[in-house]
Amino acid sequence: MSLTYLDAIREAQAHALRDDPRVFIYGQDVGAFGGAFKATRNLAQEFPGRVLDAPISEDAIVGLAVGAAIEGLRPILEMQFADFCSVGFNQIVNQAATLFWRTNVPCPITIRLPFGGTSGAGPFHSQTPETIYAHYPGLIVLTPATVEDAYAMLLEAVAIDDPVIFCEHKLLYRHLKAEKLPTEALPIGKARIAREGRDLTIVAYSAMVQDALEAAVELAAEGWQIEIVDLRSVKPLDTDTVIASVARTGKLLCVGEAWPWGGVTAEVIARVMSEGFGLLDAPPQRLNAKDTPVPFHPNLWAAHRPTVRAIAAAARKILRH
Amino acid sequence: MPQIHIIMPQLGESIAEARIVQFLVKPGDQVEADQDLIEVETDKATTTVASPCKGRLEFFSAQLNESYAVDTSLGLIEASPEEAARLGMDVTAPQKGSEGDSSFSTYKGNGGKSRVLPTVRGLPVPANAAGASYLSPRLKARMDELGLHAADLAGVAGSGAAGRVTVEDFEKYIASLEKQKMSGASSMRVAVADAMRRSWTRPLATVGLPVALDAVLAHRKTCEPKPGPALYALRALALALAENSAPAGRLVGSKIVHPSAIDVGFAVEADDGVLVPVLRGADKKPLKDLTARYNELVELARQRKLPPDATGGSVATVTNFGTFGLVWATPIPLPEQTLVLGLGAGRKMPWWDEAKGQFVPVMEAYLTLSFDHRVLDGGAAGRLLQRIAQLISQPDSL
Repeated sequence: MSLTYLDAIREAQAHALRDDPRVFIYGQDVGAFGGAFKATRNLAQEFPGRVLDAPISEDAIVGLAVGAAIEGLRPILEMQFADFCSVGFNQIVNQAATLFWRTNVPCPITIRLPFGGTSGAGPFHSQTPETIYAHYPGLIVLTPATVEDAYAMLLEAVAIDDPVIFCEHKLLYRHLKAEKLPTEALPIGKARIAREGRDLTIVAYSAMVQDALEAAVELAAEGWQIEIVDLRSVKPLDTDTVIASVARTGKLLCVGEAWPWGGVTAEVIARVMSEGFGLLDAPPQRLNAKDTPVPFHPNLWAAHRPTVRAIAAAARKILRH
Repeated sequence: MPQIHIIMPQLGESIAEARIVQFLVKPGDQVEADQDLIEVETDKATTTVASPCKGRLEFFSAQLNESYAVDTSLGLIEASPEEAARLGMDVTAPQKGSEGDSSFSTYKGNGGKSRVLPTVRGLPVPANAAGASYLSPRLKARMDELGLHAADLAGVAGSGAAGRVTVEDFEKYIASLEKQKMSGASSMRVAVADAMRRSWTRPLATVGLPVALDAVLAHRKTCEPKPGPALYALRALALALAENSAPAGRLVGSKIVHPSAIDVGFAVEADDGVLVPVLRGADKKPLKDLTARYNELVELARQRKLPPDATGGSVATVTNFGTFGLVWATPIPLPEQTLVLGLGAGRKMPWWDEAKGQFVPVMEAYLTLSFDHRVLDGGAAGRLLQRIAQLISQPDSL
């Protein structure tokens, strides 16, 4: 049996619905239609009354979920595209993120964001807005890069009492496959060494981990041993694992699909500079998307986001320093 | 008609900008290719900017007495299409500004003055900075951990960008050392090494001249206790500096710090190093009153029992390398000093005696003066050394 990243997300939701009667799914077309990407296929039939179609209002979707959470339920929300989640932004950052802080009432909402670029998707269906949510205290932001993590981390997201922004990469939905679902996983907030090496640390998350792994194979043919840290969760950020890796390699490249201004890659470098300056044998670098809206044309899109080739080129520059 | 910019040329490797001194033609003039148009001045020389082509000068965008960066446009020349084609311009493309529009307005007046651009661009480390010159934070931290200085990396070939020593190079070097026999350097050796390393950060130069020691040797026989030849040199140096202390000044930033007293040190070889006891106010006391104290300090230094007030704070040092049979040497001044006076071994040499019309035997020794070339030049060092030689030749006056 072979499972995709998307299957893992569906299975995790089924598992959560089965395990916990407080869990329900709410989103546009998640019911009979099974979701825009079929991440909730057949769940409405399997769990009658607990997989509910929402009106086209992200604001209302999140607002309803906050109320349900106050009443003791554990909603899983699906945004059709992460790009549209900005319509529900106020409810997320002002209501959900601050609720426990203000009232001591927990807010266990999981908001699933199908995010990231795919060929031809353009500016409204490609964004990677994890940085914006990570900026706000009170939110947890998860970015699984593997089928196993997509399953295990979504289950944990539902179990956590804080609001979780669960960023699932659309490019991985059908491309990434695994043999079986995991029975154990690293805890949330712990990064994973996706590949061991001694010459350079590449820190990445979500789909960029897969591109970085490919770049590492290319560089291995040139004799370089690249260590890859998969952040898994961008908030909380596992600085210890990153610093420990830089201590081994002395060099750092951060790769993110998001725009360069501020962001996760900048945060990682800031932390390494202030806590691990003496470990660096070369100036740390970051590789991000270009600072423009995401282009439609596949050629422009390939030039816009970090590619395997761009990652390998950036890595070589640091390795030769 | 095509318009061609007059561009500030690259006037020298390290020149980033030049100042307009004079315009040699005026707008409307017909100019030839390579004709001098503008006189400009850099911090090194005055030179001219030549016309890029034949044509009519439209205007100068540059202003008198203003500085402009290399590659800045200084004005426009209207040239014939043939002339423009000769310069490689695409004359078929519509020329912006040919109808007198405002496209070139940015080149008029001060608005056209571009920012001075750095001469070195685009490289993570300077291109010629080979070897140990660039140390990464990691390498610095590792060296601090092991108590090493940049000078310790002199023997390591760097494999990084522009030949920098990477942390891997460093670890390999350290590992290779561990295969060889190692012994601990004495604290004295480490202190001398540190002083020499700090001193060597300056541009040091040495001048020398021969002196006749016969008068000194004759004078010495009349004294009890007998002063050593180095003490004569020391006293002569002290008197010369009392006349003019400027050569012993230290350069700190943009200031010369003058010595407050003529305290002169002298080098004494001790176990595995050199000590420098100090004679305070060496210009104030005659030679005969300095001898006993000098001999006492030599003895204390050899026993390594110098009192605190007899070390440090001197303005110059005398070293008698002649005791090792050396005729010439280029000693290094202490890091906090500008001067070190050296005395070579005496040898009988034939000197030409003009009065007698023949060679006469003379006990000759070389005096050397090593100095910080930032503070004084060969001329000033030479005059000081001449004065010292003159004083030594009259030992009665010391």
